[in-house]
Amino acid sequence: MGIINRAIRNISRRKIRALLVIIALGFSMAIMVSIPAGVLANQQTASTASTNLSNVISQTSASINQTATQIDCSLAPSFSGFGFRDSSGSGTSGGSGFTPGQFSGGASGNSGGFQPGQFGGGTIGGQFGGGAFNGGQSNPMNESLYTDINSTISGVAAVEPILQASEGQNVTQNLSFNGYTRSITRLDVQYTIEGIPLTSMVNSYPILPTNITAGNNLQAGATGEVVLSENNSAYFNAGVGNTVTILGQTFTVVGIYSPSSVSQTQTLFMNLSDAQTITNNTGYITSLAVFAQNSDVVSQVATTLSTMHPELTVTTDQTRLTQLQTLQSTYNTELATAQSANNQTYSTAVEEIAIVVVATSLIVLFVMLYTVKERTKEIGTLKAIGFSNSTVMSQFMLEGILLSIIAGVVGIAIGLIAAPTISSLLLPSVGLGGRAVAGAVVVSGTSRIGGLSVATLNPELILALFGASVLLGTLGSLYPAWRAAKIRPAEAMKYE
Amino acid sequence: MSKPVLQIENLNKTYMLGKREVPALKGLNLTVNAGEFVAIMGPSGSGKTTLLNIIGAIDKPTSGQVLLDGIDVGKMPENQLYKIRRDKMGFVFQTFNLLPYLNARENVELPMEGRGKSKSEQKKRASELLALVGLSGREGHRPQRLSAGEQQRVAIARALANNPAFILADEPTGNLDSQNKQEIIKLLANLNLTQGTTIIMVTHDSQAANHTERMLLLKDGKIIKEKEGLHLAKKNNKCPHCGAAIQVNDETCPTCKKSIYSSDEVFSS
Repeated sequence: MGIINRAIRNISRRKIRALLVIIALGFSMAIMVSIPAGVLANQQTASTASTNLSNVISQTSASINQTATQIDCSLAPSFSGFGFRDSSGSGTSGGSGFTPGQFSGGASGNSGGFQPGQFGGGTIGGQFGGGAFNGGQSNPMNESLYTDINSTISGVAAVEPILQASEGQNVTQNLSFNGYTRSITRLDVQYTIEGIPLTSMVNSYPILPTNITAGNNLQAGATGEVVLSENNSAYFNAGVGNTVTILGQTFTVVGIYSPSSVSQTQTLFMNLSDAQTITNNTGYITSLAVFAQNSDVVSQVATTLSTMHPELTVTTDQTRLTQLQTLQSTYNTELATAQSANNQTYSTAVEEIAIVVVATSLIVLFVMLYTVKERTKEIGTLKAIGFSNSTVMSQFMLEGILLSIIAGVVGIAIGLIAAPTISSLLLPSVGLGGRAVAGAVVVSGTSRIGGLSVATLNPELILALFGASVLLGTLGSLYPAWRAAKIRPAEAMKYE
Repeated sequence: MSKPVLQIENLNKTYMLGKREVPALKGLNLTVNAGEFVAIMGPSGSGKTTLLNIIGAIDKPTSGQVLLDGIDVGKMPENQLYKIRRDKMGFVFQTFNLLPYLNARENVELPMEGRGKSKSEQKKRASELLALVGLSGREGHRPQRLSAGEQQRVAIARALANNPAFILADEPTGNLDSQNKQEIIKLLANLNLTQGTTIIMVTHDSQAANHTERMLLLKDGKIIKEKEGLHLAKKNNKCPHCGAAIQVNDETCPTCKKSIYSSDEVFSS
């Protein structure tokens, strides 16, 4: 009749007591199984959210640095647009021969969100300026005058010269204006050529179309190639791999893009030098896209540009910049919220586990203390008939440990079944920017329960928890067992 | 028969009740020889229990010498005393003190644990002892299925498990009816006669005490009176009433026809 057999008999003899300990310890184990699982699920949620937000933030940041650092420089548009000479005879009036700014449409050429050149320059000399009606075509600029911007103005990351020209047909219309009716002829744009420098830096700055839907974008150094907008594609009836003839020159279509703004709908992209050649504008450009090194120095660079080149209309995209910055700060707030929710989950979990550990140990402690008290006489007897203190202590320790082993098995079983429920009850949900995640382990309406039991309730964790359960039982019975060992048999004998 | 198993010299024991010193034993002297059957009697508060606890090595003397089978238990460290209790003595209690969740045999095996005996040896010894106390066939019964007298028999068998130098019985008949009382006294007397077991019995019961060979009256922490009991005559195969020769197993004297176990009050209070 060994010590283990006696422990088992004592446990089975006191069924209510055993049940109490098993329920208490089992519940603790269930909580201890569930909480780490819930924490992990929350962490996954928060980490996914953080990753996504971080990506968005860095993309936004890149947009700020790329788009919002862009400064458009152009000569004030003249009344007479900047047409191009072509042989088709379809209304290319104007031309580069006009004195820039002579009949200036003024800065209103940029108003209404139209990019310079969207509507070709006015045609009939001076009757209507670029201004309100035609938006004005930027005057050509001598490229060589601005080659030093990059080196003379600090804060400039790159200067991209751009040539934009539109091709269309003259349309005559009657317009009423201030009580006068005039017949005007304007250019009905069929397509706009945008020549951009295809240097090795072409991909570093947002001058290429972004949303390629077929084929490829223009590559650095490419000549004789165009990327068409979807409208262009329809107009030319040409797809990727076809050739199109533009101003007498044959180009291969390498890609089709979807315009990201109204102004792009009829714009086709090609190498700057190709554009200059076919429009007879070698050495001339219509605008400069100056990129500041970062969004902080944009206004400083713009001011310097205006000072050094007073003839240029210098435009920064302040609205877009503000929008992006607002967006970024919103994302940053969300990220902080997600991370703090995650931290809160973690600290709550630690608190709860600590409470559970203490409460469980206390339950085991009191139950075992009661047991020791109840069995004082037995302990006295055992000592009187020759049991050593250590044997008596082991006897009670073993009882506590055996109880906690049973409780551990029960608790882990409960935990495996009820982990999602328990953890969602006990842990705060991870809220992301008002999109509260319902429950701790349910993410965006998609239950993580399946993933939870596979990913987080691994054998190591279960083994660790089982160990924890035994440890709790041991801790809880240590003092009672010691008390039992210290009982003096002479006094124990008197105990009834 | 003259080798002493218990020698107590000038034993003093003082308890502290708060700050007040309460003397329980005052310079007590006692020698018990091997094979003796001794009764210690006395009124409540006379120091019986204290003396018993000190003899049983579960309490320590304040001063004086207690030699158990030649070992000075007063000088033994606390963590060695359990071996004395296990190997040198067998306890029999008033309330039997059997473990309720163990059967008779398992209860008897308890003291043998930790003595390096194999399970089968323990089992065999326990069965033999249960047969000796007349409980053959009842080995598998748990205490609640045994009568009070049977439980005390199991307790006596348990006390004998490690072949102790003496049995220390604390009011062994205190919880028994007169029938069982006589049975247990008979059993102890027979063990003393047939096995040569030394028995020190503390009792209130003068009738039980009268069946020992030596009765000691304890009062105010000292032995104040000593008297021969009926058992001495029986040991010498004589009728305690008429002195005629008797056999070990005789219930009544063949000569005077008196029951050998009937007796009068020995110490009138």
